[in-house]
Amino acid sequence: MDDRRHRFESEVLPHLDAAYRFARWLSSAPAEVDDIVQEAMLRAFRAFETLRGSDAKSWLLAIVKNCHSTAMRRSRRREFVPLPDDGEAEEAHAVTFGAPDPESASILRDEGRTLERLLAALPEEHREVLVLRELEELDYRGIAAVTNLPIGTVMSRLARARASLRARWLREVEGAPRAVR
Amino acid sequence: MRCAESLRVQAYFDGETDAVLSAEIERHIEECAECRTLLRDFGETREAIRREVRAEHAPAALRARVMGDLLRESAARSRTVRHRVGRSSGSAPSIWRTASGARSFWFGSLSGMAAAAALGAALWFSGMWFAPASDRLIDDLAAAHVRSLMASHLIDVSSTDQHTVKPWFAGQVDVSPVVADFAGQGYRLLGGRADYFDGHRSAVVVYQHGHHFINVFSWKAGAHALPKDSTRNGYRLVFWKAGDLEYCAVADAGSSELLALERLLRNDPGAEPTIP
Repeated sequence: MDDRRHRFESEVLPHLDAAYRFARWLSSAPAEVDDIVQEAMLRAFRAFETLRGSDAKSWLLAIVKNCHSTAMRRSRRREFVPLPDDGEAEEAHAVTFGAPDPESASILRDEGRTLERLLAALPEEHREVLVLRELEELDYRGIAAVTNLPIGTVMSRLARARASLRARWLREVEGAPRAVR
Repeated sequence: MRCAESLRVQAYFDGETDAVLSAEIERHIEECAECRTLLRDFGETREAIRREVRAEHAPAALRARVMGDLLRESAARSRTVRHRVGRSSGSAPSIWRTASGARSFWFGSLSGMAAAAALGAALWFSGMWFAPASDRLIDDLAAAHVRSLMASHLIDVSSTDQHTVKPWFAGQVDVSPVVADFAGQGYRLLGGRADYFDGHRSAVVVYQHGHHFINVFSWKAGAHALPKDSTRNGYRLVFWKAGDLEYCAVADAGSSELLALERLLRNDPGAEPTIP
C-alpha cells in the first residue's frame, strides 16, 4: 500500500506547486485555492491507477480545473451570478475571477510586474491557455487535456490570447509598438 | 491581414513541428516579413511573461494537509487488507482457543503467523502462476528489441508503404497487424520484420520517431494475461489489445510518445486517462 503512495509521491506530488499556481490563476480567493488543490490531490490519489504512464502534470492540472469548476458551481448556487454570454461579456467574467483588486494592481505596477497584472486581467479562457503554455510549459496535447478542447481550438485560442495580451501590453507602455522592442 | 501560415508559425515557435515541417516553416519565414515579426513578438512576450510573473510555491500548510490526506488514505487502504487477514486468523480451529491470557497471546500471535504464512503462500503461488509469465514476456520483448537494434536486423522488408509491408507479413507470420505510416505525426514507418519470442511468432512493425526506433510487436491474443505497461533495462514497453491481437510497443522513448503511437494505431485520438 505504501508502495502506491511512494509512486504517487514521486510521480504526481512534484507537480503540487504547479497545481497550486494553476488554481491561483483560475480563482481569486486564497482560502478557496487551498481547498481546491487539497481536493484535487485527494481525487488524483484515489484515481492514480487510471494515469497509466500518461503525463502526470497535465492530468493533475485537469483535475484541478474540475475541482475549480465544482467549487464555482457550488458558490454560484449560493449567490446567483448570471453566467456571461460568449464574446464581450467574458470581459466582465474576468473581473469576477482572477483580476487583482486596485490595491494589488498598483503594487504590481510598482514592482515592474506589468505582465502579471495584464495576464490576470485577461478573460479566463485566454489567461488559462497562456498560463499553461508560457508558465507551466505544457505542450498542445497537455493543454488540450487540461482544457478539454480539441488541439485545433487550443491553437487558435492561444493565438488570440497572445495577440490580445500583446495589444494590451503595447497600450500599457504607451505610444508606438517600437517602444516595447 | 494575418498571414495564413500564422498558426503553423506559432506551432513552430511552440516546438510542436517535426523536422520536415520546421524546415518548411523556416523557408516561409525567410520570405514572409509578417511571420518574422510574429515570431519575434512571440519570443518577446514569452520572455517578458517569464520575467515578470512570479513563480509561486504551494504554502507549507497546504503541503502538510495534502501529505496528511495521503497518509490517511493509504492507511485506510492497508487496514482493509489487514482486516481480511485478521478474519482468516479468526477461523483457526477451536482447539487453539484458551481462556488463559498469556497462552491466548502466544496462540494469537501463532495463528497470526499462520495466517501470514498462508497469505504469503497464496501470494507466492499466484506469483508463480501470473507474475513470472508476464515478467518473462516483458523480458523477452525487451531482449528482442535490443537484439533488433544490435544485430542490424531491424527490418526484413524495408518500406514506408503500408501496402508493401502488410502483404509481406502474410507470407511470414500468421498474424496481420495494423500497418500505417504516421510520418505527419512524427512516426515514420520504416518496415516490417518477422520475430520469434516466448513461443510466439510475431509480426513486428518498425517506426522511427526522432532518433528513436520503435518496435511494435503483435501476436494472437489469449496466451496469457496482457502485462501492464512497464520499463525494463531502460526500455519502455506499452501493451494494448485491439481486435484479436495483442500489441507491445518498445523503445527507449518516453511513455507518452509510445502511448501517442498506440492511439494512432488504434485510430482512437480520444483515449485519454480518466480525469476524476
